[in-house]
This record gives sequence, C-alpha cells and structure tokens, in this order.
Amino acid sequence: MIETRGVGKTYYTPTAEFQALQNVDLAVSAGEVFGIIGRSGAGKSTLLRTLNLLERPSTGRILIDGADVTDLDGEPLRRLRQRIGIIFQHFNLLKSRTVHENVRLPLRINAELDRSAQDGRVAELLDLVGLTGNARKYPAQLSGGERQRVGIARALANRPQILLCDEATSALDPETTQSILELLLDINRKLKLTIVLITHGMDVIRTVADRVAILDRGRIVESGEVVEVFLNPRHEVTRALLAQSGVESDAVVGIDEDDRPILRLTYHGMTSEQPLLSRLSAQTGLDFTILQASVGHLKSIPYGRFTLRLPASGRGRLPDLLQLADELGVRHEVLR
Amino acid sequence: MSLDAAVEAIRSFEYWPEIATGTLDTLTMTGLSLGFTVLIGLPVGVALFLTGPSQRSERRLTGRAQAAVYSSLSLLVNILRSLPFLILLILMIPTTRWIVGTSLGVAGSIPPLVVGAAPFFARLVENLLREVDRGVFEAFRAMGASTRQTVFWALLPETLPGLVAAITVTAIALIGYSAMSGVIGGGGLGDLAVRYGYQRFNIPVMVVTVAVLIVLVQVVQALGDRWVAHLSHQR
Repeated sequence: MIETRGVGKTYYTPTAEFQALQNVDLAVSAGEVFGIIGRSGAGKSTLLRTLNLLERPSTGRILIDGADVTDLDGEPLRRLRQRIGIIFQHFNLLKSRTVHENVRLPLRINAELDRSAQDGRVAELLDLVGLTGNARKYPAQLSGGERQRVGIARALANRPQILLCDEATSALDPETTQSILELLLDINRKLKLTIVLITHGMDVIRTVADRVAILDRGRIVESGEVVEVFLNPRHEVTRALLAQSGVESDAVVGIDEDDRPILRLTYHGMTSEQPLLSRLSAQTGLDFTILQASVGHLKSIPYGRFTLRLPASGRGRLPDLLQLADELGVRHEVLR
Repeated sequence: MSLDAAVEAIRSFEYWPEIATGTLDTLTMTGLSLGFTVLIGLPVGVALFLTGPSQRSERRLTGRAQAAVYSSLSLLVNILRSLPFLILLILMIPTTRWIVGTSLGVAGSIPPLVVGAAPFFARLVENLLREVDRGVFEAFRAMGASTRQTVFWALLPETLPGLVAAITVTAIALIGYSAMSGVIGGGGLGDLAVRYGYQRFNIPVMVVTVAVLIVLVQVVQALGDRWVAHLSHQR
C-alpha cells in the first residue's frame, strides 16, 4: 500500500548539513494501523510528511499502491494528495470558517461533487465523527477533542484509502486522547482505512497500532508486530520508550544479591487463556515469588509478562520448569 | 470668546461652500484612490508573500524564479516608498497627464495617490499573510489545493479582519496625502488650505480645514474599528 525505499532527507544550512532521515525502508500493508515512534527530533514528522510529499525525499523512492510517486508534481501530485488524508497535532482548521465549511473544503478542492452532494457528504462525515449538530459552529467554539474530530472528518472527506496522523493526540488530554484513538480504530475497521501514525507516546502505539517502527536519529532501529516489539524489545531506544510507558522495566532493582534464581516469562495471544502460573507451580512443585508482573492487552491481543524468583533449592528443577514453559508456549529468559 | 461670539463667527464665516466642495473632493479622491490602491496593492502583497522567503519551493529552479520575482517587486516597492510624497507628485506629472489627461484637480491627484499608497498597502498585506498559521498552508497543500485555492479560500478569509484594519490605516494615510496634493493644484481640502490659509493668510479657513480633516480621520478610524470588531466577533 505504502512503501518507502531507502528514503533519506538532508537539510542544508549555509554552514552545515543535517541528515533528518537515512535509508528508511518501510512497507505498510492495506488496512493496517502502522505506528512510527521516536523521541522528538528523531525524524518522525519528516518521515510521515514524505509519504504525501509535503517533504520531498533527498534520496530513495516513495511508492503508493505500487506506483512510484516520488517525482510527481503539479496536478498529478494534487490528485494524489486528495487521495491521502492527514490530521495534525494542532488541527490546522480555518478559524474564519464554520465546521461545515472546514469539512467541505477538500470536496471543493476535489470538485467532483456538486454543491448539494457536498453538503450531504459533510453531514455524513460529521455524523461519522460524532459532531452532528455542530456544523454551524466555529472552531474557536469547540474543545480540542472536537476540533480533532473536525480534522478527521475533513481528512476523510474525499474517501481516501490512507490516513496519516501527525502527532494527532499529542495536544489532547488523556481522556480525549483515548476517545480520538477509539474513533481512529473505528474508522480503520469501518472504512478499511490504512492508517500511518507518528507519536512519541507508547500508549498510543499499544492502543491502536498493529505494527510499529522505532525511529532514532533518522534511522529505523527496530520494527515489527507491536506485541513482539513490546515483549521482546531489542534496541535500547525501544527499551527506553517502553520504560516511560511502564510496560517494560528491565531493571531488577532492590532485590537481594543472592543465588536464588530469577527468570522472566512472557507470552501473548491464545496462551493467555490458560492458568499458566498455577500449572507451572503444580507440575514442578516449585514455589515462586512474583517480583514483577504486567498483564493486559496490546490493541486486542492479550499478553503477560512475569519476573519470578525461585527458592535457592529450585535451581535443580529449573530445566524441568523451562521445558514445561516451552510446551505451554511461554517464552522464558533466566536472568540470574 | 463667548458663546454668542463663537456662533456669530461661524455664521459670518463666508467660505462654507468652499469647505463643502473641498470636503466632497477630498472624499472622492480618497475613496477612488483607496479603491485603486487595494486593487493594485492586494495582488502585489499576495505576490510578495508567495514569492517571499517563507514560501520558497524546494525545487531549485522554481525557488530561484521566486527569489528573482521577490527581489524585483521588493525593490520597486521600496523605491516608491522611499520617495517623499511631494516629490512623487511632481515626478509623476507627465505620467499623470498621460493616464487621466490632466495633472490638476481631483482626477489629476488620483494616480500619484495610488502610486504612493499601493506599495505601502502591499507591504501591509505581505506582513499580514506572513502571520497566517503555517499549519493552515500545510493543511491546504496536503489537501491538494492549488495556489489560487489557497489564496482565495484560506489566506484572504483568514486575514480578513487584518485586511480591513490595513485598509483603514491606508485610507487615513490617503486623506493626509490628498491634502498634500493641494500644493500642486490637486483640489480638495488641502488645496483650500494652501490657497486661502497659506497664500492669503486666512486663518479661519485654515482652522476649519484642519477641523474637518480631524473629524474625517476620526470617522474613518471608528468605522474601520467597528468593521474589524464585527469580523473578529464572528469567529
């Protein structure tokens, strides 16, 4: 659906050059929610903006639906952009126009529908984002969450297959963020829309994304299924980002320095349905202490992650435990 | 001076007809030249903005073309703005004759007024457009809007209150300029003040002329402010 091949972007100032992106390869499939996360300055926004050519890559190619669009210009570029919706952190609505007029703008630009069909489409869109009854209001009269809903309605006006989200919830409070994310998931399912979003918050990724790429200093350092990346982060930047959202905490701190074995178990998906811990305990005859635990859902996939301490005498039976874990489909790692 | 004396002074003032004609002429000159100033200055201001530093294309050739247009327009605007209006009036006499057939009276003062005010107004417009939120442009580019659509559907509506305020400022500047054109036979209140007040030492005519000008400026400013307030209130 969307593909970047070796995309790089270099900015030149009179005295220096700055590589915002280096050799970025991405492949986003139709209908998925693809998250790009990184610290500020990592190049996320630049990367997202190359996808609709708001930024033209210095090197590499951009493919949309298999077609190379990197060099499009003029009318063909405008036509392409009309097929790609985008929402922004600060909404970027016209203050001088009503909600209705703001949402109608892309339809006027596209100019395929007549006036009454445009008005009908606007009503439909406002209904979709839950803003029926607000058509005559001005953006200043709306809350942040409502303004982003207007932004979403505007982005969807021309029935795009792709929606780009540029830190779409970063200016919103947590509760509003949640409702906007739910709306995005809802339209992703209803309209089979492909969504690419960038964020600096792991919580956004874990709520909506199917796959994620971690961007650091202009490079993708890790990418994959959200569950995989969350439960088995390989890169330090990923770990740092996870630690901030409280999912991952690698440090086994404040634990006595002795020889009692410590191990970590992780699992996700169907495995979560089973009474894993009690089975492990019963079948090996080991008592263990839970030092740390995290269970929950990543989007709709259940996952669990436990750090356990066994009694000193348990080391002998550790291989049995690990073998049983393998049989149950639980991933394990002996930390001590 | 007692009240009776003041009333008597006003009644015996014999130049009311001249003042009325002068006021009407000043209004005509200001109104017409304001119209032409906006007609010329607005597109020039938009052109300055679109070719200006904030809107440079990433494409090398387009960027260079923009820079060339910007420098030439900017230079022209600066030259016209650096000429004192009185000098501009005199310099323009041949051109004015060519355009309107005379360099005298109401008609003869309109071309120099427009040439004096349009560059000023164009700069005001350029600065206003620079204040428009960058995000709005980005949204329009991302929607696939053409430059024309961006100008007419986003830029101008978003800056409308500012534009009205800029038109008000320009109108007041034009009232001042139009009085100056009286010096070279331009008509209006300035002409009156020069011919009666300056050349014939008629202090009352001078005083009344000044009073009328003050009232005109106050009225224009008040109307402009109310319009701006009305526009800003809507959003």
